[in-house]
Amino acid sequence: MSAAGPDHRQARLHIGADPQHLPPDVVAHLEGCPDCRRFRDETLALDGRVHAALELPLHRFRAKAPPARRFALAASVLLALVVGGGFWLFRPSTALAGEVVQHVVDEADSWNMHQPLPPAQVADVLRVAGAQFDSPFPIVYGYPCPFKGHRVAHLVVQTPNGTMTVMLIPHEQVRRRTQFSRDGMSGVLVPAGQGSVALLTRDGAVPEALADEIVSRVRW
Amino acid sequence: MNAASRGTTLAGAFTRLLEMLRPDLLRFAYWLARDRQVAEDVVQETLIRAWKSREELKDPAAARPWLFTIVRREHARLFERKRLPTVDVDEVEALGDPALASDGDVGLFDLRRAIMQLPDEYREPLVLQVLGGLSTTEIAAELNLTQAAVLTRLFRARNRLRTIYGLEPAEDVE
Repeated sequence: MSAAGPDHRQARLHIGADPQHLPPDVVAHLEGCPDCRRFRDETLALDGRVHAALELPLHRFRAKAPPARRFALAASVLLALVVGGGFWLFRPSTALAGEVVQHVVDEADSWNMHQPLPPAQVADVLRVAGAQFDSPFPIVYGYPCPFKGHRVAHLVVQTPNGTMTVMLIPHEQVRRRTQFSRDGMSGVLVPAGQGSVALLTRDGAVPEALADEIVSRVRW
Repeated sequence: MNAASRGTTLAGAFTRLLEMLRPDLLRFAYWLARDRQVAEDVVQETLIRAWKSREELKDPAAARPWLFTIVRREHARLFERKRLPTVDVDEVEALGDPALASDGDVGLFDLRRAIMQLPDEYREPLVLQVLGGLSTTEIAAELNLTQAAVLTRLFRARNRLRTIYGLEPAEDVE
């Protein structure tokens, strides 16, 4: 880069290579160069999509099973849905609950955590997921999980009523409080502003007062 | 707290760290190997190696780049040891690998295919940067390249993806 500052070509090399971290002289160049600013804006938009593209859906990420096993698996899943979970098939309002349950089943290890996470780690999870949560209970698991095309905060808290999963879902609205149960889990979806909060437990139903307490501490 | 219980606490914290980062390690391994089974194997080896070497990680904040580096090395080691065949990208696409699925978002699916088709020399630094969060300096050190070479590769990687995103490609850089 010259002492007089970068030319368009040099500026675009930096923008195209690392749009989130531009050197000061490139930033200065952008002030007076609308074309490079447009290039920067386009590249940042592209980068958001690249980030989303790289975050592969892990629930589809199981090793390829042989065709016969795949058929047996598909058949057993279908049977389970029809016999045990017709509830999910025929009531569209519970589709979100079904995806929440499936997500928790896919991350079953999250139930096995017992040590409180450091506050900085929780803050990182919430920041990435675009949520604020002043938890009244110790948080023992937290990850900004891909969920329906967005990052959501998947937390596990230790409440007086036992271990509880808390998913903060800013991009999915539910009209009313909806209770559900499946696979030994009980849960409730609660409206929260423009989003919703899902609470799941394996220790009986989620008490209404507890759900209210948790949801009252969520901000987007 | 005595030494034994402090050791137990640290081991527990390290386990949680691995659990938290495992999904992204698996994604990174997949983008390297372009094969789900190989990716699972690489991550398994990575977690074992990381556990054995956990004393080397002084700063938990550096865990992510540290683990991504181990994934990359385990991937190379696995190919060297097992002499795995190179994955045919056209075949992966033809199989309609569900790992690339995008829940109806056609643009995202196209972008995943385009990333899959990038040459290794462009795809690897891009994934290290965007998914791994490594700086261009860290990528240069990891890939044994000059920083200028890393900038050029990252520029060219994004430039190839611009057309998929409906943008005009920029003039190439030397």
